[in-house]
Amino acid sequence: MISAVENIQPNRTSAPTRGGAIRIDDVVKIYDPEGAAVLAVDHCSLDIAAGEICMIVGPSGCGKTTLLNAIAGFHDITSGSIHMDGEMLCGPGKPMAEPGSDRIVVFQNGALFPWRTNLENVIFGPVMQGTLSKAEAIDKARGMMADAGLNDVEYNYPGEISSGVRRRVEIVRALMNDPKVLLFDEPYRALDSLTKSVMHEALLEIYYRNPVTIFFITHDLEEALFVGHRVVIMTTRPCKPKKVLDVDIPHPRDYGVLTSKRFRELMEETVDAVHEEALKAFDRGEKEG
Amino acid sequence: MSNVKGFQEYAEEARLNEELVTLLKESMPFHVISDRLLERIAAIARRVSYDPGEVIYHGGEPSDDIFIVVSGRIEHALVQGVASSTPIRTMERGDVFGWAALLKDRPGRLAKTTSLSASEVLRVDAHKLVEILDTDPTTADTVMSRFATMITKDFAVSEDRAQVAPQRKGSRVAARGGGNGGGGGQQTISGISLTMFRFAQWLRSPRPYLMFIGFSILIGFWFFAVEVWKLPRFREMPGLTEVWREWLSTDPIYGLSIYVPEYYTHIWVSIRRVLIAFALATGLGVPLGLFLGWSLKFKEYVFPVFETLRPIPVLAWVPLSILMFTGLETPVIFLTFLASFYATALNTMLGVQSIDESYSRAAYCLGANHRQVFRHIVIPGAMPFIFTGLQISIGVAWFSLVAAEMVSGQYGLGYVINTSYTMVRYPTIVIGMVTLGIIGYATSAMVRLMGDHLMQWRVRELALGEQS
Repeated sequence: MISAVENIQPNRTSAPTRGGAIRIDDVVKIYDPEGAAVLAVDHCSLDIAAGEICMIVGPSGCGKTTLLNAIAGFHDITSGSIHMDGEMLCGPGKPMAEPGSDRIVVFQNGALFPWRTNLENVIFGPVMQGTLSKAEAIDKARGMMADAGLNDVEYNYPGEISSGVRRRVEIVRALMNDPKVLLFDEPYRALDSLTKSVMHEALLEIYYRNPVTIFFITHDLEEALFVGHRVVIMTTRPCKPKKVLDVDIPHPRDYGVLTSKRFRELMEETVDAVHEEALKAFDRGEKEG
Repeated sequence: MSNVKGFQEYAEEARLNEELVTLLKESMPFHVISDRLLERIAAIARRVSYDPGEVIYHGGEPSDDIFIVVSGRIEHALVQGVASSTPIRTMERGDVFGWAALLKDRPGRLAKTTSLSASEVLRVDAHKLVEILDTDPTTADTVMSRFATMITKDFAVSEDRAQVAPQRKGSRVAARGGGNGGGGGQQTISGISLTMFRFAQWLRSPRPYLMFIGFSILIGFWFFAVEVWKLPRFREMPGLTEVWREWLSTDPIYGLSIYVPEYYTHIWVSIRRVLIAFALATGLGVPLGLFLGWSLKFKEYVFPVFETLRPIPVLAWVPLSILMFTGLETPVIFLTFLASFYATALNTMLGVQSIDESYSRAAYCLGANHRQVFRHIVIPGAMPFIFTGLQISIGVAWFSLVAAEMVSGQYGLGYVINTSYTMVRYPTIVIGMVTLGIIGYATSAMVRLMGDHLMQWRVRELALGEQS
């Protein structure tokens, strides 16, 4: 299933690199500072190495997405800074990052354009940016879709295919732009657990071919441990890292990992921390979101 | 075979049947069908084995079965003259071929199929298959549109691939992009057969009969109330037989029937006014709505003015429009335009606002600039609402047209109705009304068809319902 790829390093120091190291430094985000003043992110610092899969786990509504939106350039931050490969994305004097094709978001509910066929969706980035001609983009897209086993659905509209396949098309659409970072906003939340397990393997397979930095938000601990090099457990709102865990299970991984002894140990190690935060969020009656 | 079967035979049969259902579930487009129907399909399927090199069918042979591969490999070579990107392909377990049998006019086989290895296929009689599907119209519709998609795909791809070839750079992306891509004759065949299939389905469903009953009640009530029971306030009204006779008369008493050229002049004048007004309303209303939805600042300038003008009824504009415009034609067109314009602009604005924020965010992520987001996200994203607006717009256009024609104008159906009243030609009033109803229905059906044509993606999505 998963092709053996040389040189996949589980640790984050020596990952294959085309850039994409993210440094989150003391970021604070307050919504509506003059009014309700909701503190969403509280002095959060986090270093993500180039090519690392960093899983962010926390209860629903804890402010993880706020962090992701700040990196993507959808929201400003109140203080602190975010750098990518030493360049400031946002920080003092520039509260909001510019959205760009070096950091692409895969959305919670999926954002394939329903009025374009899957192939037209996949070529969107390069054609809009003018980096490839339409014909070149189609060639490249066909190749990438074939690699991901998606050439059957090229001419279907997103509304005609299953949500699992839609997510894969969306990831391919992102990878067409050779991004440095992929930002996942709980993309598999709506999928059933069987589909999820397939999706995780598919995601890893894609990653082994395109080792980009992955910032992956989830509230599913199993997902986090299975996919990630590192799992960061966040406190409930305001959001900051509570526990950081290196997942020392070697890549490439497949679904067998889930039943391994080490996996269960790691699960035991983290489940309390997650549960504690979930309980806090529950008691406060946080809205899901 | 004896009619009495042992338990073991039953068990064996059940097992085989189950196996077939499993196989069908793996194959496009059978996987959307419920287990209950699949069992019935499995029951009519015949398992046939072929030796290596054996030909299953030749091109041009009559087609009555469709095939699903159980095991082995089948070569599927399209006959000459049928264009496709992959004229020769290999079919494996779960692949479906021979769908020519499902087309309405059952053309001969379009390919030659040869068994490459010892293989086994399921043959399903297409006629019986359709009969089974017919028992569940919703599923049938889904399956047939999937088939149409598959067929279209096979052939539309070819044209597109040809276009992608380096010597023809800069051509269209996908043949089906935007829904109007030409897939050549084959696409038309599948399109037509799908339409025919839907029409046949419609005839078999209770809907046409309910519609017929609905009309009968209306017309029956008219007939009885006026001519049979002679109800108090209905006595003065023109009756069904009177109107009918007048409408079809070569020598109408009141001067208007289908044999009088003037009748068509009135119709044409009204249609022309509505079309001009509708075109203006669309040409101005859609851009205005797009900008209202797109730019918050623009909306703050314009929307309050818009909302103040909108509730003013068309009739209240009559005096001013006569003062503003010269001649008889322009005031009428202006009045017809007005309400349509509001409906189009408002719905377009709502359409833009309804677009999921993720789409524009995703587009910015993918490197699009503002102008590109407007062109590639906002406009297509608002399309479903725009067409809802246009449907309303064409309806209110007729509504205001008649109001305007009653006030001024020299021709037109509204003018006919109004003058017939003052000149006491009662049957002619009803002729004018019925004509309006029919033409109004036809124009709004045309708008709907245009919308379906431009939004293939939506048609397909709706055809598949909630099942994906």
